[in-house]
Amino acid sequence: MPALRVQGTYYDGLSARAHPVTLVLEDSLEITGRDLRLAWPLPDLAAGDTAPPFMRLGPAGHAARVEFTDEALAAALKDRCPDLYRTDPSASAGRLRLVLWSIAAGISVILLAICGVPAIAVRLAPVIPAAIEARLGGAVDGQIGKILGDPPVCDNAPARAVLDRLIERMTADAGLPVGPAITVRRHAIANALTLPGGRVVVLSDLIEQSRTPDEFAGVLAHEFGHVAAHDPMRALLAASGSSFLLSLVLGDLTGSTIIIAVGQAALSAGYSREAENAADSYSVGVMRRSGGDATALATILERIAKDDGKDDDKAEFASLLRSHPFTKERANRIRAMAGTETVGRRILDETEWATLKGICRNVPATSAK
Amino acid sequence: MSQPPMTETRSGMDRFGAITFDRTFKGLTGIAVRGFLLSLVTFGIYRFWYITELRRYFWNRTVVDGSPAEYTGTGKELFLGFLVAIAILIPVYVLIFVATISAPWLAAFGSVLSFLILFVLGQFALYRGRRYRASRTLWRGIRLGQDGSAITYALMAIGWSLLTLLTLGLAFPFMRASLERYRINHTLIGSSRMESTARGRSLLIPWLAFYVVVLLPIAGALLAFLVAADFTIPDDLFIPKEGGKPGETEFNSDYEDTPIATFGALLLSTLGITIPLGLLLIPFYRARETRLFMNAASLGPVRLISTLKARQFYWPYLVYLLSVIGFVLILGLVIGGAGLLLQARGMESGFHWAIVFGMVFGYLGGALFFAVLYVRVITARLWAAVATTTSVENAGGLDAVLASSRRVGSGLNEGLADALDVGGALEVGF
Repeated sequence: MPALRVQGTYYDGLSARAHPVTLVLEDSLEITGRDLRLAWPLPDLAAGDTAPPFMRLGPAGHAARVEFTDEALAAALKDRCPDLYRTDPSASAGRLRLVLWSIAAGISVILLAICGVPAIAVRLAPVIPAAIEARLGGAVDGQIGKILGDPPVCDNAPARAVLDRLIERMTADAGLPVGPAITVRRHAIANALTLPGGRVVVLSDLIEQSRTPDEFAGVLAHEFGHVAAHDPMRALLAASGSSFLLSLVLGDLTGSTIIIAVGQAALSAGYSREAENAADSYSVGVMRRSGGDATALATILERIAKDDGKDDDKAEFASLLRSHPFTKERANRIRAMAGTETVGRRILDETEWATLKGICRNVPATSAK
Repeated sequence: MSQPPMTETRSGMDRFGAITFDRTFKGLTGIAVRGFLLSLVTFGIYRFWYITELRRYFWNRTVVDGSPAEYTGTGKELFLGFLVAIAILIPVYVLIFVATISAPWLAAFGSVLSFLILFVLGQFALYRGRRYRASRTLWRGIRLGQDGSAITYALMAIGWSLLTLLTLGLAFPFMRASLERYRINHTLIGSSRMESTARGRSLLIPWLAFYVVVLLPIAGALLAFLVAADFTIPDDLFIPKEGGKPGETEFNSDYEDTPIATFGALLLSTLGITIPLGLLLIPFYRARETRLFMNAASLGPVRLISTLKARQFYWPYLVYLLSVIGFVLILGLVIGGAGLLLQARGMESGFHWAIVFGMVFGYLGGALFFAVLYVRVITARLWAAVATTTSVENAGGLDAVLASSRRVGSGLNEGLADALDVGGALEVGF
């Protein structure tokens, strides 16, 4: 077989000067040009990363290289040099390992976001200074208002006075970290939300759906239970921490995920079963002490759950309550805890309750309703 | 492009060296599909290796004066850089967050403050990212490099941006030219320094096209509207919509057929026409700018000559836009058909699971399609357009370039750019 003779270019790695050379493949790769005579041993040769028909090679570890475009010589070199592609970065051997490790790392971060961050949030929430928590609550309050479509605040003065007296009775020696601030907003969803800083937003349909004052007070006391346990702050910390962590992995550090998550966390209030049970126990305690019917909370929970999905008007409200999916179980627990001795007690008399029901009188009824 | 380098005449300093690029894009689709899918299953971690692979593809096929460029960066370097950047960024984010929470007067400026900090960091990261790419680029065995200070660059960028704001955008081409000069004047090939003579005033005419096409008609229509309204816009032009949600308004019918309505409509239609026209001008400006910057760059006696035409930038965008429209049309037909089927078969048929499956599949398929299309059509064609329209004057002068003995920068330079999402995988024109 005649030795291959190919025209190529030699670069010494020190200057960009192109040296035209002739390449001959013998026992070694012989490079001949003007004032230039080199013989590179074949086992030393390493190919650079090039697209065909270009070929670049040189002794491994040296900056000198030759470039040529002859495919026959390239093929011959591939046959005869054992380690030609030792530095080839496109080799796929490491790829599977890389992919598997990346998946493992991703899953580990996701697990950390789902399990680790909430555990940290539980310990962090009680030590957040009250001033900061109050400010956060204000920010979340504004956001909730926007999400619900800025519902008007109901504060018909006589009804508000009744409500304030009721709250005072319920929160007396209730062990709350801050005095709760309750606002009632006109909205066609029967729900109450607790925000950081002891803010409780009651949506007016909750009052309308309550058949007795104790049902309403029971829900209110349940929300106070969340305040006592710092649940909103914990949920906020957990949600923003988790989404921050996830956005790191997904490469979105602009923080857009965080902003969305904060609103969602506050609205859907995805408290754990334990947190809900604790708030229920708290509600039963408050209702007993303040002379109300401790089982009324169970009654209204069941009624609202029954409405769930009955007709399209309620679909929105159903989706909001979906974070409380274990209604039956909760109702049974509440009844067992409350016993029967408080059944039939009323936390407000008939006239007070009628006044409270009119709390939205200051806001004109919307025609949409 | 497969012409062997040796057949070119090598005599004399004043010969032209061609820059070529393989326009068949063979193998590019495979890289893009694999890169997208693996990035998806690895929660995005694979993207550093994907970017590296793309860069090697583009570098290897860009042949300058007979010798292909070489990219020696690795995905591992980019990934480590990203991890370090995260470690720097988390405290920055936490500090911004804590500052806005604990100082009430800061809260109002919170978003401005974080934007400013991230903007400066972003410019810093862009410059450092370019330094990394330069230091991983070899040509004829000579390593490129970049010196200069990323802090200076970031401060320049923010100063110029403020000036651009103050001058209603007029300073923009001067900012672009100034930053380009800084970048090029700190770019080294081996130990030889490049130089740029880019001037903002030569960019002024393409830039002013935006004013002629977009701003002047809008200003004219606005002025006409204000004259018609006697420079006072009535308070009751929009009234709360009857039966609507709070905050929803409708046009007050009392103002129908008045000059206010006519010129108001004129103003809105002017906005509707000129803003898309302005978007259409972007490729034109970008092509002009690229050509000017290329022509302004030199290395001693060696100069770059670019003959880039704006239409070479329009074509990729047009193809991409038409593909997007076609995809949306097909998607609409499919969704419409599925909706009809669903109505006919009813919800209980189990058919809705097929639709959910189809939507997930369609979403991923669409994302894959557009990711690959973007690389093939926009990235590759723009790169090819810039590369193939550029040639090297006095290419013989390149022989004088000597390798540098300076230390190679670490791979940590580019991580911040990725973490801040400002570092494009490939920047046309380098």
